Amino acid sequence: MKKIFLTTLTLLSLTIGSWGQAKKPTIMVVPSDAWCNINGYTQTFDNQGKTVVVPDYKRALQENTDLLAVISKINEMMTERGFPLKNLESALKTLESNAAEDAMTTSKSGAEQSQSPVDKLKQVAKADIIMQLTWTEVKRGPELAVDFNLQGLDAYTDKQIAAASGKGPSRMSSTAPDLLREAVLAQIDGFNIQLQSHFDDMFTNGREIILRITKFDSFDGDLESEYAGEELGALIETWVNDNTVNHRFNTTDATENMMLFEQVRIPLFDANNKPIDARGWAKGLQKYLKNTHQIEAKLKMKGLGQAQIVIGEK
Amino acid sequence: MKNVLGILSFCFLFSVIGYGQAKKKADNETFEWRYEIEVVNTGTQGTKQVKIWTYSKKADVAMEQAKKNAVHGIIFKGMPDNGAVRGDKAMAQDPNLEVTQAEFFQEFFKDGGKYSKYVTLVNNGAIAAGDIMKIGKEFKVGVVVSVNTAGLRKDLEAAGIIKSLSNGF
Repeated sequence: MKKIFLTTLTLLSLTIGSWGQAKKPTIMVVPSDAWCNINGYTQTFDNQGKTVVVPDYKRALQENTDLLAVISKINEMMTERGFPLKNLESALKTLESNAAEDAMTTSKSGAEQSQSPVDKLKQVAKADIIMQLTWTEVKRGPELAVDFNLQGLDAYTDKQIAAASGKGPSRMSSTAPDLLREAVLAQIDGFNIQLQSHFDDMFTNGREIILRITKFDSFDGDLESEYAGEELGALIETWVNDNTVNHRFNTTDATENMMLFEQVRIPLFDANNKPIDARGWAKGLQKYLKNTHQIEAKLKMKGLGQAQIVIGEK
Repeated sequence: MKNVLGILSFCFLFSVIGYGQAKKKADNETFEWRYEIEVVNTGTQGTKQVKIWTYSKKADVAMEQAKKNAVHGIIFKGMPDNGAVRGDKAMAQDPNLEVTQAEFFQEFFKDGGKYSKYVTLVNNGAIAAGDIMKIGKEFKVGVVVSVNTAGLRKDLEAAGIIKSLSNGF
């Protein structure tokens, strides 16, 4: 009896302990589009007559050892600070092996794994915060210096949350990887102080997310249709207002077919002190629409910071 | 022989007292935290080389203060960029931290306190020719020291004085 009591108590305290921690954002170092373009690591597509240039990360990582040296140094420094990063090269390899495995997976009856076009579109290396890296080598006679720029970008709100940049000292005897490592050492503390401020702001004012509302064309009505004497769009806006930290949000766009809410500050924990992200929070809106107004809706997510509700059906 | 021994003991006692007084004076003047800090070099991983300009009526007292001032500067003041060498913001983001954690820092900066673990004199504290100046009745002395910022940060994080990057997650 005593044993059961102690086991229950331990499990309970472990559960409460894990609930007390907010969802941790993932961070990944990625070379900037500009760096990939300058160094020729790009792929070109013809998109309905329009030439589109996209970065080729895989080739950059396979061919450029300077890039590997910088990413490895940043990863090392961040791990030392207790914040290990997601590694771009590993993420790309995992994606490839998962795709190959998914293609081969069949059930005993021969059924294949379901995959919608959206599922395929979402199979890209992603993180909640991107550390975008750019550098150029500056040569003056025999001297070499590195102009280094590191930007911390929130993948959902598109905001720059931290940055560190500057030209390092010119040296005659140092190689580019040496200067790059030195640049990381010099810049990373300043970058982390800004990152810390961003996290502090998040703990004080809530996580900043984006919420998109759209509708299926099968939905009988639109965001201007009235429910209980109020337009559906207005009802959604009121729900967002009631469920944000200090009622902080912006209605950036609203038509009869869509609404866009930006700078939406959501609490990090729900009423049961369970950590939530954009999806967990928007689930509340999905439930509200169904329970109060009998409107079915599909909930889609993009990482910790973006949710989309598509009204009409699931 | 007895006389020689007596003179030697006297000299030893005198130097110990002199050193003790310099140290005491250093302590008194250190807690006024009157110094300037500038970055000299990005050191090896996790360290920073800084030059501390300390004011004192005695040059040897200023030397004593430099180590404490360097650690204090890294925690509370930060330093601007110096040409191509990147400076740093203060480790403590809360401007009132020194007051709210006064007890901790008094212990931390006491003689032989934990601060001394993270700071070493560069070139045994040799002062460059232009780095000792007499201003009025005081000396302004510039001493280059190396501060183990990574170790210092970890210790302050472990003591709960400053937050770690993963705090709350």
